[in-house]
Amino acid sequence: MRILVVEDELKTADYLRKGLGESGYLVEVALNGLDGLHLIQEGEFDLIILDVMLPGLDGWQLLQVIRRRLPTPVLFLTARDAVEDRVKGLELGADDYLVKPFSYAELLARVRTLLRRGPPREVEQFRVADLELDLLRRRVTRAGERVSLTNKEFALLHLLLSREGEVLSRAYIASQVWQMNFDSDTNVVDVAIRRLRAKIDDPYPLKLIHTVRGMGYVLEVQP
Amino acid sequence: MSLWPRALSLRLALLFALVGVLLLGAIGFYLYQSLGREIAWRDDQALLGRLERMRTLLDDSASIEALRQRPQLYANMLGNRDSLLWIVSDGGQVLIEINPAGLAVPQLPRGPAVQLRDALAAEPARLAWLHVEHEGRGLTLIAGKLLAERSQMLAAYRLKLWLALAAGALLAFLLGWLVSLRGLRPLRELAARARAIDVQHLHLRLDEVGEVSELRSLSAALNQMLARLEDGFAQLSRFSEDLAHEMRTPLSNLMGHTQQTLRHPRAVEDYQNLLASNQEEYERLARMIDSMLFLARTEQPQASVKRETVDLHGLVEQLCEYFEGMAEERELQLVNRAEGTLQADQGLLRRALANLLANALRHAAPGSTVSIASQLRDGRLEVGVHNLGEPIGAEHLPRLFERFYRCDPARAQPGDSGGLGLAIVRSIMQLHGGSVRVESGEQGTRFILVFPLAERVNHKR
Repeated sequence: MRILVVEDELKTADYLRKGLGESGYLVEVALNGLDGLHLIQEGEFDLIILDVMLPGLDGWQLLQVIRRRLPTPVLFLTARDAVEDRVKGLELGADDYLVKPFSYAELLARVRTLLRRGPPREVEQFRVADLELDLLRRRVTRAGERVSLTNKEFALLHLLLSREGEVLSRAYIASQVWQMNFDSDTNVVDVAIRRLRAKIDDPYPLKLIHTVRGMGYVLEVQP
Repeated sequence: MSLWPRALSLRLALLFALVGVLLLGAIGFYLYQSLGREIAWRDDQALLGRLERMRTLLDDSASIEALRQRPQLYANMLGNRDSLLWIVSDGGQVLIEINPAGLAVPQLPRGPAVQLRDALAAEPARLAWLHVEHEGRGLTLIAGKLLAERSQMLAAYRLKLWLALAAGALLAFLLGWLVSLRGLRPLRELAARARAIDVQHLHLRLDEVGEVSELRSLSAALNQMLARLEDGFAQLSRFSEDLAHEMRTPLSNLMGHTQQTLRHPRAVEDYQNLLASNQEEYERLARMIDSMLFLARTEQPQASVKRETVDLHGLVEQLCEYFEGMAEERELQLVNRAEGTLQADQGLLRRALANLLANALRHAAPGSTVSIASQLRDGRLEVGVHNLGEPIGAEHLPRLFERFYRCDPARAQPGDSGGLGLAIVRSIMQLHGGSVRVESGEQGTRFILVFPLAERVNHKR
C-alpha cells in the first residue's frame, strides 16, 4: 500500500512517514504542492494525505487536480475546523478530513478505513483467542463461560473486536459507543474499559484489552 | 442631499437664513401689497375729485365752448404730464382733450354713476368717467392717469425689498452661524473629551455637569457605554492573562519534565513514561484550545443554533448511560426525572448537560443521588442537575460561570475541564436565548438551565 503525504510542516511530515512506515505502508513525502503534483503524476498511490495549507499550489487546488483524473482516496488535514472548510474539502471530493491537532491513533484508524477496499464485511461472530462475541444472539463467552454484559459494555466490546489490533482513542470510543461527539474531559471511557476488563480479562491469565499510553485502547493477543 | 453641509453649525446657519428669508419675504410682500393698494386708492380718489371739479367747471361755465377757449383753467388743475382728460360728446366728438401720451380716445360704456377701470392701451392707464347732461346734450367726462409712474415707483420699492431680503438672509446666515458656533461649543468640548479616551484611559468619563440638558443626557448615556466597555475590556484582558497562565502550567510541566529526563541517559521505560506523561499534557492543551475555540465561536454575534425537537428524557437517559460507570465507581445513583420535549440544538444541549453532570458527579457526596429533573415555571422550562455535597461558597456563586474561574485555585484537578466547563454551559444557554443559574446550600447544589417560553416548549407531565 503506497501512501503519499503532502505536508509542508517538516516535523509533521517526518512523524507521518515514520508512523505510517511502521504500520507497514510505503510512504512518500512531498513538502509542497508542486512536488506533490509531480509525484501524483509519476507514481500510483492508494491514498493521499493532504495538508490544505501548502506553499505554491495549495491543498484545495491540488485536490481539484487529483479529482479530475484519479479516484485515489484523499484524507485532508486542516488546522481550521470552521465548518465551511470541512464542507469545501468534502465538496471538492476529499474522502475524509482531520483537524489539527489530531491524535495519531485517529489518523491511523481513518487511513485503515479509507484503504479498506469495498464495503466493510458484516461480521456477526467475532473470535479472538478464547473470547467470542455473537452479535445476533448478543452472547459473549470467554473460555467457554458465558459473560453477562450491559448494553454499553456489549457495544464497547463489539467496537474493540471489530477493530481488532487497532488502537482506538478515547474520543473515538466515546463517539461510537455513547454518541458523545465532543472531547469529554472525564474518565468515563477509562471507567467503562475498567469495568469491561473486570468481566472479560481479569479472571483469565491471557489479557486481551491493552492500554496504549497516551493513545487509547486496543484489543489483541499480545505476545 | 449631498449639497446639505456636513457641519451642524452651517446647517443651522442655513436654516436661520431660510427662516429669515421666509419672514422678511412675507413681511415685504405684505407691505408691498398694502402700498400698491394704498396708491391705487389715492389715485382713484384724485381721479374722482378731478371729475367732480370738471363737472363744477362745466356747470359754472357759460358753455363748453367757453371752457375750450380757456384751457389754462383746467390745464393748471391737471398739473402734470401723466394726467389725461377728455370731454366727449355723445356723438363721439372730442370737445376737450389733454393727452400728452397721445392715447386714443377710449370707448367706454355709458352709465349713470361714476365708473372706474384700467385701460389696456399702448400705455396702461387708470380711467374714471362720468356721464352728464349739459346744455341739453350728453357729455362723457373722462379723467385718467397713466400708470407708468406708479409702476416705476412700485418697481423701485420692489427692488429695495429684494435687496433688503438678500441682506437680511445674509445677515441671518452669518448671525446664525455665529450663534450656532457658540451654541455648539459644549458639543465640541464633549468631543475633545471623548477624543482623550482610549484603551489606556478607559477609566475617564465625560463631564456630566454641563449646563445643557440635552448634552447631559447624551454624556450620561456615553458614560454608561464607557462603563460597559471598560467592564468588557477588563474581562477580556483578565481572560487573556488567565489564558496565558493556564497554558503556562502544562507547558512548564512539559519543559521541566523533558529537560530533567534528557540530562542523563535513562532506561527505555523512563522515556516511555516521559512521552506518555507529555501526551497527557498535550491533550489537556488541545482540549483547552478546543474549548476556547468553541467559546469564541459561540460568542460571535452571528453564531446561531440548529434547533430541532429534542426528547429531554431520552437525551438525559443517554447521558446517564454515559456516566453510569463513573457514578457507580463513586457509589452514586443517577436519577433521570427529566420529561417533555424542547426546541434546541441536540449536540449543544447534550454538551451542556454533560458538563453539568460531570461536575455534579465530581462533587457529589459518596453514596448520594445525582438527579436531573425538569419543570415548567413561569412559562419557562427549567432543567436542573442536583447533587448533594459540600455547598459552594456564596462568594464564588456569581463568578462561577466565568472562564477559568475555580473556587479553589490551588486545586486544579487533572480531570477537570480547565475551568471552562461552566463557561461553555453559559455560552450554550445564551445561544439558545436562555440562561443558567446555580443554587447551593445545605440541600445540595443545583445547576439550572432555563429555556425561555419562546422556545415553544411542549412539556408534558
